[in-house]
Amino acid sequence: MYVAAVFLPLLGAIIAGLFGRAIGDRASQLVTCGLMAVSAVFGCVIFYVVALQGLDKPLIIPVFEWISVGDLKVNWSLQFDTLSAVMVFVVTVVSCLIHIYSIGYMHHDPGIPRFFAYLSLFTFSMLMLVTADNIVQMFFGWEGVGVCSYLLIGFWHHRESANAASIKAFVVNRVGDFGFALGIFGLFAMFGSVEFVNLLADGAGAEALKKTYQIAGYSIAGQDALNIVCILLFVGAMGKSAQLLLHTWLPDAMEGPTPVSALIHAATMVTAGVFMVTRMSPLFEYAPIALAVVTVVGASTALFAATIGLVQTDIKRVIAYSTCSQLGYMFFAIGVSAYPAAIFHLMTHAFFKALLFLGAGSVIHGMSDEQDMRKMGGIWRKMKVTYTMMWIGSLALAGIGIPLTIIGFAGFFSKDTIIESAFAAHTGWGEYAFWLGIVAAFMTAFYSWRLLFMTFHGKTRASSDTFSHVHESPPIMLIPLMGLALGAIFAGALMVDLFVGDKFKEFWGGAIFILETNKALEHAHHVPMWVKFSAIAVGVGGITVAVFYYLLIPSLPALTARVFRPLYVFFLNKWYFDELFNFLFVRPAFMFGRFFWKKGDVATIDGLGPDGIAATALRSSRLVAALQTGFVYHYAFSIMIGAVALISLYLLGVMR
Amino acid sequence: MEALLKEYLPILIFIGVAVGLTLALTIASFIVAKQKPYSEKLSAYECGFEAFDDARGQFDVRFYLVAILFIIFDLEVAFLFPWAITLGDTQLFGFWSMVIFLGILTIGFIYEWKKGALEWE
Amino acid sequence: MGFTFTEIMPAWPEIFLACAAMGLLVLGVFMKTGAARSISWLSVLALVATGILEIVVVPDGGRVHIFNQLFVADVFTTFVKCLILGASAVGIIMSLGYNDREDIARFEFPILILLATLGMMMMVSAADLISLYVGLELQSLSLYVIAAFRRDSVKSSEAGLKYFVLGALASGMLLYGSSMIYGFSGSTNFLQLAKVLDADASAGIIVGLVFVMVGLAFKISAFPFHMWTPDVYEGAPTPVTAFFAAAPKMAAMALFISVLVGPFGNLVAQWQQVLVLIAIGSMLLGGFAAITQSNIKRLLAYSSIGNMGYALIGLSAGTKDGYSAVLIYMSIYLVMTVGAFAVVLCMRREGRMVEEVKDLAGLSKTQPAMAALMALFMFSMAGIPPLAGFFGKFYVFLAAIEAKLYILAIIGVLASVVAAYYYLRIVMTMYFTEPVEDLDRNVGPELSTIQAIAGAFVLFFILFAEPVVQMTNQAIASLTSG
Repeated sequence: MYVAAVFLPLLGAIIAGLFGRAIGDRASQLVTCGLMAVSAVFGCVIFYVVALQGLDKPLIIPVFEWISVGDLKVNWSLQFDTLSAVMVFVVTVVSCLIHIYSIGYMHHDPGIPRFFAYLSLFTFSMLMLVTADNIVQMFFGWEGVGVCSYLLIGFWHHRESANAASIKAFVVNRVGDFGFALGIFGLFAMFGSVEFVNLLADGAGAEALKKTYQIAGYSIAGQDALNIVCILLFVGAMGKSAQLLLHTWLPDAMEGPTPVSALIHAATMVTAGVFMVTRMSPLFEYAPIALAVVTVVGASTALFAATIGLVQTDIKRVIAYSTCSQLGYMFFAIGVSAYPAAIFHLMTHAFFKALLFLGAGSVIHGMSDEQDMRKMGGIWRKMKVTYTMMWIGSLALAGIGIPLTIIGFAGFFSKDTIIESAFAAHTGWGEYAFWLGIVAAFMTAFYSWRLLFMTFHGKTRASSDTFSHVHESPPIMLIPLMGLALGAIFAGALMVDLFVGDKFKEFWGGAIFILETNKALEHAHHVPMWVKFSAIAVGVGGITVAVFYYLLIPSLPALTARVFRPLYVFFLNKWYFDELFNFLFVRPAFMFGRFFWKKGDVATIDGLGPDGIAATALRSSRLVAALQTGFVYHYAFSIMIGAVALISLYLLGVMR
Repeated sequence: MEALLKEYLPILIFIGVAVGLTLALTIASFIVAKQKPYSEKLSAYECGFEAFDDARGQFDVRFYLVAILFIIFDLEVAFLFPWAITLGDTQLFGFWSMVIFLGILTIGFIYEWKKGALEWE
Repeated sequence: MGFTFTEIMPAWPEIFLACAAMGLLVLGVFMKTGAARSISWLSVLALVATGILEIVVVPDGGRVHIFNQLFVADVFTTFVKCLILGASAVGIIMSLGYNDREDIARFEFPILILLATLGMMMMVSAADLISLYVGLELQSLSLYVIAAFRRDSVKSSEAGLKYFVLGALASGMLLYGSSMIYGFSGSTNFLQLAKVLDADASAGIIVGLVFVMVGLAFKISAFPFHMWTPDVYEGAPTPVTAFFAAAPKMAAMALFISVLVGPFGNLVAQWQQVLVLIAIGSMLLGGFAAITQSNIKRLLAYSSIGNMGYALIGLSAGTKDGYSAVLIYMSIYLVMTVGAFAVVLCMRREGRMVEEVKDLAGLSKTQPAMAALMALFMFSMAGIPPLAGFFGKFYVFLAAIEAKLYILAIIGVLASVVAAYYYLRIVMTMYFTEPVEDLDRNVGPELSTIQAIAGAFVLFFILFAEPVVQMTNQAIASLTSG
């Protein structure tokens, strides 16, 4: 069952990918969705057995020996503990729902088998990532999801923007992956192993602190080494999870089909970084500087992405920036050692963000592929189910609920826990994260309702033609929405006690390690009242402002934009990060590339090399041919010259 | 090397003398003699009239053929004389050698006869 | 004085061939019609018989000198002569159809080839500068005549005349060199010379040796004495060119070996340097000059110049392995050249010969079998394993490296890269360009058979490389046994 849960999607991908054309669209869909559904059922069972019932120690299922070079021995095996069980559960369930949704969304696309093959392959890679029992295998899954993401962003490869976006995603991820790979090398250098059993064993981190490492002639203290390695790993996570500086690919990734945005760029893949850092918690716990970096980057991303989300007009981009922002929340939760809170938010976020994306997809589908919110509005009567779903998603995203009870949407529990943990960390960085988190929460609520109002309310701004064609999506798309909505409503309330309640340590078992001294999560339950209410207060505040802006006084947004013009433009242009990177990296890279191409390759290597030699050969050939005059006395002369030359060489002693 | 070149010294001297002498005589004729050219003096002086046509006359290729065939048998005779004189020493071996030689020549003769090379017309 | 018939047994093949040539001459002149074809086949028969005789009379091991040490026979001479006889026989067979079509079918043609072959055999077996010269001249004079055999064609006459004038010059140089050697050593006999000459020979001997080498280099058309080759190859009738490229090259190269190894064996240090220069020049010239050639006969002329350069690498190594490599190289070269020319002879369009490389365009579509064989020969000449040509190059380069002539080997490899360009260009023309006009198809069974046999040899040489190498080693062993 464990193996089947992981490998069934691969089987589906192989069937649809290699034989898709032979078996047809319908069969490809059935095979992938069917296998995915079985996998999802297994995923639920695994969640029940491993996470809810609990295991004494992680279940490790060896598959085969993979690499054996010198000291480096890597097995291919699946590891199941609470952490991976949660991830398997989330991945399989969300992926299954999105597979089904895609049947409806992609029904008119010519590349259906390919799409489903990629989707299943992605799911397999993601499962590989979360069930890895060593960091190399994890890296395999990590790269696998990267490739699938690349393929799916560029799925509509006839669009130039899609190709550019897929390349951008791949390249930016490479930067992160480079950090991750260096981190892996560092780990191997420090511990001589890549198996989690050894890396994450009790006290392995503490041991490492006491040693001094000799790397490339430098001696590095254990503490520094651990900090460096953890920061490198976090760089990898930043790339995959679109944190500040390496976030630029995520909004562009919205070029992919909407189900892809939902599955990969919201619910699962982008959370891989969060998962990875959590998996490595036994090391990060001993690397305070790395944790501080994680906190600051996470909190900054949360606010930064939210500010951009305020002004975007593309419905998918708003949600994309929201994703970026929510990932920031998860990271600063990790930074204050509230790993369970991060994973909890990861799970709830997976549900409601997938819901939002699929809802947006439903809107786009109904609006004849229109993505610009400025050309929407007033369509709520025409697509009531979608409208309801979007409300649920937004409520979950904004974290609406009643404090001190277990009434509330999923996001309420997880986000509150994170914000409270940040406060309860009682560190400078925690404080920073707390305040930024509060501000970001306000913005989150604001832009969520801005999206709702602009899309569904008011007078329509769509062309009458488009508007008249607006229609509700077919059931095959709505049913997955409802499934996700259930998750978005209830997942938080059901799981909150298990994940982050008082007995969270029993639930997580050995999967997450938190130092005795880092008690942010325990203290999170005992923060002052105003802290507990602050998050919900700013959320409601954000909604209220949005009501004023977009329902009651529609002229306000324009006025605000005019008054705060510099800020507005700054946000609208995404803090000019793309331009900055363009200037700093892309253009110099192109310049270098062009230099090496024109001067280095064409002029020097080709010029002096193949082309030059060829030209010289041709020239000498012409020369020799010209010597062949056809006059017999010239020929005789050459014979004489030859004879004289040879003899002269002798007599002059050159030859000896 | 030096020794080799020394052996050629007389030739070098001889060349030097020849070149020197001719140069001296030529230059002397310019210096000593009286130079007074006029058209009659410079005109062709051969039996009193200009040449009618090109000095290089063509004649029938058959002359060459006959000449070449003649040379072959001429050479044959040139071989026969010393052979005849030394036959007493070379004995039977010498005799048969010449017979083979003559036989080969005879084959060539048959060929040219049969080919018609001996007929003028 | 005087020899018994059994004493001169090693010379039986030559005597037989001479008698056959003269007999056929008389026979031919008395035949009324159809003389050319029957005399041709009889000549082939005579060549084959001579070859069989050659194998019968070969002395087992060691060398046998006869006719007052003017003539020598051993395994080496037998090996080379058999190749020459085979090449000559193939040459006659290849000319049959061509001569008929071009209306130059005369019975003198095969007779001249017989006489040239006789000359070559004499050259190979020469053990004296005088018998060497006689053999060389018999060969050369016959070749001059057949080069101009198509006497109503200006090009052919020009080729014959050029060959004659330059050949006479080269012969003169050879004779001059011989006379110098005689003057400085007092003998023309190879055995005597080998005894007299030692490493510090006088300048006169060396000058004489260089002149002799010039004469021989002319015969194998090595740089810088190659100038006649392209013109003669282009001008002479194609079967004659094919013959020129094969048998005389083999004979001259064998003579080169036997002269340098026999009488001048002690002067290795001196002649090695000359050979290195000649070899490098030939390889580079053969490689570069052929690039711009459009006439396939000219191209093959430059190719043969280059090939002689590679063969000379083995000779300049100055080792037994090197000489053996030369023999292997020349044997393979012989087959490849014959095969390639057999294809060129098939290049007719509406009954007329065409000679441009571009006339081969699209041959792979119109005549796939022939195109495949030509491609095989070209790849082999370019030295692409596992074809025969690769082994030829491999052995000479190996010999050069073992003799520490690294620069020579490197230049050889580079030149063969250049040469590969024009060989592959022919393949490209055949396979990747559209046919302009179809070539005639009725090539005649002789040419197809020759192509097929040569192709099989080139393709399957790898299977019997070992026995060939053993044979050449044996030949060289008998040559150097003294």
